[in-house]
Amino acid sequence: MTKAIGELDRLLRGETTKVEKLKRGVLDVDASGLAIVILVLGLFYGACMGSFGIAQRGLSAVPQLIATTGKVPLLFLLTLIVTFPSLYVFNALVGSRLTLVSTMRLIVAAMAIMLAVLSSLGTIVAFFSVSTNDYYFMLILNVVVFSVSGLLGMKFLLHTLHRLTIAQDAEDFAARATQAKTEAEAIPTAPMPQGALDKMSDQAIETNVTTIFRIWIVVFGLVGAQMGWVLRPFIGAPHRDFTLFRERDSNFFEAVFSSLAKLLHLSAGG
Amino acid sequence: MEAGLERNFIMSESVLRFEATLRSLMRGASLPGRQMACFAFIGSAFYGALMGTYGGFSGHLSLAQMLFSAIKVPALLLITGALCLPGFLVANALMGLADDWPQARRALILSQAILAIVLASLSPFTLLFYASTSHYPAAILFNFLIFAIASFTAQNVLRRLYAPLIAKDARHLALLRGWLALYGFTAVQFAYTLRPFVGDPTQPVAFFRSGAWDNAYVVIIKMIWNLVVN
Repeated sequence: MTKAIGELDRLLRGETTKVEKLKRGVLDVDASGLAIVILVLGLFYGACMGSFGIAQRGLSAVPQLIATTGKVPLLFLLTLIVTFPSLYVFNALVGSRLTLVSTMRLIVAAMAIMLAVLSSLGTIVAFFSVSTNDYYFMLILNVVVFSVSGLLGMKFLLHTLHRLTIAQDAEDFAARATQAKTEAEAIPTAPMPQGALDKMSDQAIETNVTTIFRIWIVVFGLVGAQMGWVLRPFIGAPHRDFTLFRERDSNFFEAVFSSLAKLLHLSAGG
Repeated sequence: MEAGLERNFIMSESVLRFEATLRSLMRGASLPGRQMACFAFIGSAFYGALMGTYGGFSGHLSLAQMLFSAIKVPALLLITGALCLPGFLVANALMGLADDWPQARRALILSQAILAIVLASLSPFTLLFYASTSHYPAAILFNFLIFAIASFTAQNVLRRLYAPLIAKDARHLALLRGWLALYGFTAVQFAYTLRPFVGDPTQPVAFFRSGAWDNAYVVIIKMIWNLVVN
């Protein structure tokens, strides 16, 4: 655990993602160690989120607290499960050099950043939970906190991807120089098999990979938001009995909009 | 401990081997036809099985529906291909391009495999969508969207695989367009004939839906119209 926290610390400081360290084209992190840290941080934030119910209704909100504590890590896990396979497949289709393992490590690292930010804001959320009784304010506050941490995590993802590309290019350049030397010694090399996507230059592939990651980031955000909606309630409306999940209806975006309207007393129905 | 490590090693070894095959497939490398067909079959059957879980989200999970859909989605891809292939072969021969046929056929099979893999990789989105709505027509339209994305991707790959052929003879481009139009046109009607894939939880599970053998295109337009109007 201490080792894994050290790993997270190095990630946060950007030591793991220095260009020199990415030489082999692989992010050198212990994904399973980070996964445990992610789980713990998620549980912590979940507890902070669920504390609103305790502050409102006392001990009768304990089931909600327990459910919320478990649901936050579940939210991230399920969002990853939904979005990861297609990320990998589309990446492979455009000829990315990221293998399954390195894609997974990259995403896990980004999620670790995300949860580090999220849980660092958890105490603030807990403070507001105790000191306010406006349910809609808490909803919006949590949406904002999740968005901020999501954006930072995704920014990390794109930067690291960029650095991986730079590091690999440097490696390739060195490899090509060696190859040119051997070729000068007149050793015939077998031509590479011409694949469907091999016609593109490396640069085109990198652009495509970046585009795919950009699209993925948007998809990850949308899926995460809707997944949060599917897994609701997280906070627990004060006048509703505890249920593990609510019925299927509406969607996240509509709900945020109506919460905003209610918070600001815009809607006629109040 | 020792055995566990070894099993772990073998597992990661086979995962890596599988991944290498998958990657070379997606890069358009020439794999044995049987292997490509295997990917096409497993990928589409996997999507089919998940596609049939719609009832499960309202408490009526039907293993029969999952099984039926797992059979029907590969059948859809396979039989549509089989229906269109003779016409395509004849068109190729008539244009004097029969010599390129093996390459063209390989490209078609490969694109089918890729279609199936993309479908399988998108299947979790379908599950999330099922978990988000209890509106049956919306679930069907979402599946339509997923199939459209997968088809679009596969078509893109097919186009790239065809690039050397087109460079050799520009008529391959016309043939390719013809193939896509023919395949798409047939597949939509065939999918409609094979329905239900998603399985309306309010109706009994059946391999085929009883009812008139009407036309898919008319029904789809009506469905979109209803969704817009309501």
